[in-house]
Amino acid sequence: MATQYGFYVEVEKCVQCHACEVACMAKNNVDLGVRWRRVSSIWGGQFPNVTNTSISLSCMHCAKPACMAVCPTGAISKRAEDGIVVVDRSKCIGCRYCFFACPFGVPQYGNDGTMQKCNLCLDRLGDGKEPMCVTTCPASALHAGPVEELAKLASTKAATRLAGATQPSVLISK
Amino acid sequence: MGVRKRCKVWYKGSGVCAHLHRLTMVGKEKEKVHMSDDAQLVNRRFGRRTFLKATGALGAAVAISGAGNVLLQKRDAVAQAAAPAEAKLIPTFCAMCGPSSGCGIMAKVVDGKFVGIEPFPECPTNKGKNCPKAHAAPQWVYSPERLKYPMKRVGKKGEGKFQRITWDEAITLIADKLKEQKAKYGPESLAILSPARRSYSDYLYRFLMTHGSPNYGHSGICAMQRMFTFSYTIGGVTSADYTNADLIVLWGVQPIYSGSAKGGVVKLVSAKQRGAKIIAIKPSMEPDAAMADIWVPVRPGTDAALALAMLNVVINEKLYDAAFVADWCYGFDQLKDHVQKYTPEWAEKISGVPAAQIQQVARMYATTPKAAIDLSNGLEHCPSANDAIRAVASLMAITGHLDKPGCNVWGGTSKMPAPRSVHLMERYTKEWVDKLVGYEFPAPFQPFIEGTSCSLYRVFDSILTEKPYPIRAVIAPGSQAIASTRGTKRIIEALNKLEFFVIVDVARTSDMPWADVVVPVCTMYETDHPFETSGNWIMARNKVIEPLGEYKSDYEFWLDLGTKMGYGADWWNGDIKKHMDWRLEPLQMTYEELRTKYPKGRDYGGNPPEYQQYAKRFSAKSTRIDKGPYLPEGKVALYNTLFEKAGFNPLPEWRELPEGPTATPELLEKYPLLMSDYHTSKTYNAAWLRHVPYLREIEPYPYLHIYPDTAKARGINDGDWVIVESPHGSMKVKAMYFPGIRPDTVMILHGWWQGCQELGMPDFPLTDGGANSNNMYTTDPKKMFDPIITAMSSQTLVQVRKA
Repeated sequence: MATQYGFYVEVEKCVQCHACEVACMAKNNVDLGVRWRRVSSIWGGQFPNVTNTSISLSCMHCAKPACMAVCPTGAISKRAEDGIVVVDRSKCIGCRYCFFACPFGVPQYGNDGTMQKCNLCLDRLGDGKEPMCVTTCPASALHAGPVEELAKLASTKAATRLAGATQPSVLISK
Repeated sequence: MGVRKRCKVWYKGSGVCAHLHRLTMVGKEKEKVHMSDDAQLVNRRFGRRTFLKATGALGAAVAISGAGNVLLQKRDAVAQAAAPAEAKLIPTFCAMCGPSSGCGIMAKVVDGKFVGIEPFPECPTNKGKNCPKAHAAPQWVYSPERLKYPMKRVGKKGEGKFQRITWDEAITLIADKLKEQKAKYGPESLAILSPARRSYSDYLYRFLMTHGSPNYGHSGICAMQRMFTFSYTIGGVTSADYTNADLIVLWGVQPIYSGSAKGGVVKLVSAKQRGAKIIAIKPSMEPDAAMADIWVPVRPGTDAALALAMLNVVINEKLYDAAFVADWCYGFDQLKDHVQKYTPEWAEKISGVPAAQIQQVARMYATTPKAAIDLSNGLEHCPSANDAIRAVASLMAITGHLDKPGCNVWGGTSKMPAPRSVHLMERYTKEWVDKLVGYEFPAPFQPFIEGTSCSLYRVFDSILTEKPYPIRAVIAPGSQAIASTRGTKRIIEALNKLEFFVIVDVARTSDMPWADVVVPVCTMYETDHPFETSGNWIMARNKVIEPLGEYKSDYEFWLDLGTKMGYGADWWNGDIKKHMDWRLEPLQMTYEELRTKYPKGRDYGGNPPEYQQYAKRFSAKSTRIDKGPYLPEGKVALYNTLFEKAGFNPLPEWRELPEGPTATPELLEKYPLLMSDYHTSKTYNAAWLRHVPYLREIEPYPYLHIYPDTAKARGINDGDWVIVESPHGSMKVKAMYFPGIRPDTVMILHGWWQGCQELGMPDFPLTDGGANSNNMYTTDPKKMFDPIITAMSSQTLVQVRKA
C-alpha cells in the first residue's frame, strides 16, 4: 500500500489552548473567518459529574476523499507519494461541491472564493519539519506522519483510526 | 447524489443555498452576508458532524467551542507569507504575554516585515512550543489600534481628542508638569500604576525613588497577595513538584491559559500521563479541571471556608505529621482549638462543596506522602484571601508536605550571577513607607518584595477622598484601570478629577480618552533591549523590525524622562547602552557581547534542589525596613505573631463575601446567582489583545458561563445575548451553556472593553450595559478588601435575563 500521511491526536493530552488553531491560521495567513483546524470542546454528564474533553481536527486526508470525487474541475487531488489531499486553487471555480461532499465540513473559502484547507504544511514537510500545529502544541498532543508510523506511536494507547466511508487518515486515542 | 441530497437539506435549514448561490456568482463579486452564512454552516458541520459520527466514543454531548465566531471581513494587515528561502529568522522573545515573559521565538521577517514565528527549540523556557498569542503577534504589531506618535489632549477629559506632538515635546510636557507639582504638592503627589508586563516594573520603582514618591499602584489582586501570605506563613514561596508528586491539587490555578508554552502544560500533562492523581478546586471546569480525577466545584471566594474545614478534618482525624508539627510549627494547639468550629458541615453551607467531599480531599492530601498543592490567583480576590492562603499553607505544613520531593518545594538555585537590579531598594526608609497614600500591605510589612506599594484602587480613591492627600498625577505604563480594577464608575469619576494623567502604551487603552499626554512605545519586536532571563538562561533581545512610528521602548522612555527631570545621574544620562552594560556587569560581559557571543542565549546551569532545609527556609530575611525574618519563631506561623502585633487575627478565619448566598441571603430573591470572573484566558491578557483578529476569532464575545438548566429556567438559549444585573451595575453579554459550572454560579472573563476593527466589531460601553465585570462589584471599602493583602473582591450576586 502506498504511503498515507495523516494525524494522530492524543485526545487526553489536549488542553484546549488553541495554539494549533492560531498557529495554523497565522502560518497559512488565512483570511479572517477561515479555519483550517479547529479545537472543539465536548461536554458530557450532569453537574457535578461532568466530563469535558476536546479534540483538534483539520482535513483528514482521507484515503478515499469525497471532495476529490465530486470536484468538477479536477482541482482536488491526492498526492501519490504521501496521500496528502491538495487543492490547486487556480483550477477551483468555487462551486463548493467539495464542501457538501466532505462528511467533516472541512473545505473553507476565503475572500477569493476558492477552496482552501490543510495541506499538512507541505512546505514544512519538504524541509523535514512537522506541520506548524504539531510543532507548536504545548502538550505534544498532535502528531503527523505516515499512518503506519502513527499507529506504532499510538500502539500503547487504545487508539483507533476514525471510521467512515472516506477512510479518514486520522487516529485518535481512547 | 449525495451532494444534491445534502444541498436540499441545507437550503431548507438555513434559507441559503450556498451551492446554488456559488454557481450563479462565479466571476462576480461576492456578498459578505452569504459568505458569512456559508461559513456558519461550515462551522456547524465541522463541529457536530465530526464528533457525533466519527468520534462517538468520546462522549454524547457536543458543544462547539467558539461557535458562531465567523466574521468575514477584509483581509488582515499582515503581509503575505513569502517563500521560506527569502525569510530571515531572528531569535528573540515573544512579547504577547503580560506578567511573565521569556518564551523564545524565531521571528520570521520577509522584506523588512514581521510575518510570523517559527519554533526556537533551544530556548529552555518553552522548548520550541508556543501558545496562540505568540502566533498572532504580527497582527498585534501591525494593528490599526497601534499608537504611532505622541499626543496631547485638546478636548475635554474623556472626550478623546488629541493633537500630535513629538517625542521630545511629550517628555518635556510631562517633566514640566511633574516638576511643577513636585514643587507645589510634594513628590508623593505622583503615582505610577503597575504594568501588565512586569519586566519594566523596576524602572517605575526607580523613577519613583529618584522623584521622591513611594506610590507604586499595584493591582492588589495578583501574585503578590499569595507570595506575601506564603512568605509570612512558611517563610517563602514554593512551587508544586509536578515531576515527582503522586497527587497534585490545583487550587484556583490555571496552568493552561497562563503561559501555556512555558512548562505549566507540560508539567500537568506529563503528571497525568504517568498516573499522578489530580484534584482541581475551582468553581468551573476549565480544561485543567477537566483532566482532574476529582473536581471540587467551590463557590467563588469561599476557599477559606473549605481550607479551614480541611484543617479541621486533618487535625481531628490526627492525619498530621506530628514530628514535623512538634519541630517546625508554631501555634499548633491554638490552631487546633481555633478550627474546631470550622466543621465540614459548616463549610458545606458556605462553599457549596459537600462535607463528604471536603473530608475525602483532606484525607487524600494528608495521607499521600508525595502530594503537592499548586495554588494561584483564584484565591487572591476575596475578603478572606489571606486566610484562605494561610490555611492552605498551614495544611501543607502540618501534613509534612513541605520541601520534600513530590511536595511543595523551594527548588534549586541558579548558577547565573544575577544581573544588577534597577530598583533602588537600598534607599527605603521608614519615612518613605509612611508617605504612602494607601497600602497594598499594612505599613509594618512594607516594602514587600516588589517595593513599597499602594493598591491601585486606593490610588484613585485618594483623588476623590483627598485622604490622606490627593494623588495629582498618574502615569499608566501598560496599565488600564477602567478595564481591570473594580469599581469602574468610581475610577472614571477619579479620572475626571485627576489633574494630570499620562498613558504609556503600544496601543489604544480603555483609559486613553482621559489622558493628558499619550506616549506610544514600541512593541518588544521593535527594540533590541532588554535581555531576558529564565531560570539559568539569559539572552539578548534582538530587534525584529524597525519601529513603525515615532516612538522608543518603555525603557528608553524612563531613561529619557528621568534625565529630563534632572535625575540623570541615576538614569545613565539617558544612555540605554551604558545602562544595559551596567546591568550585565555581574556577568562580566557587555550587552553586545551577550548578543554576539551567545546569539541563542547562555545557560549557566543550576544547582540541584536541596530538600528539608527547614532551618534555612524558616529563617529567611524579610524585605521590610527592619529586615527581620518573615517567621520570628523560626517556625511555620500557624499562629502568626507578626499579624497579631499589627492588630490582625493571628489565626486564619472566615470572612464573608460582600454579597453571596450565605453573606446576604436577603438579596437572593432579586439576585439569585453568584457571579465572579476569570483572571486569565487562552487568548487574551487581562484587558489587552481583543483587537487581534486571529485571537478574537477564537473567543469573539464576552461569554457568561452558565449552567444549561440555570439558563433554560430563564428562557435563555445557548448564545443568546443576556443582561446580567448586580446591585452595582449591569452587563450585556452572551450566554454560553457551560455544563462544567456550579448551577448557582455564573462566571465571565474580565477585561472586555475593546472591539476589533478588522472584524468590524465595536467597543463595548465601559460601564453599565457593557461587558466590564469590574463594574459589577461593590466599592464599599469595608466589604471589598482583605484587611491585610488588599485582594479586592470579585464576587457579587446577580440575576440573568434574556436581552
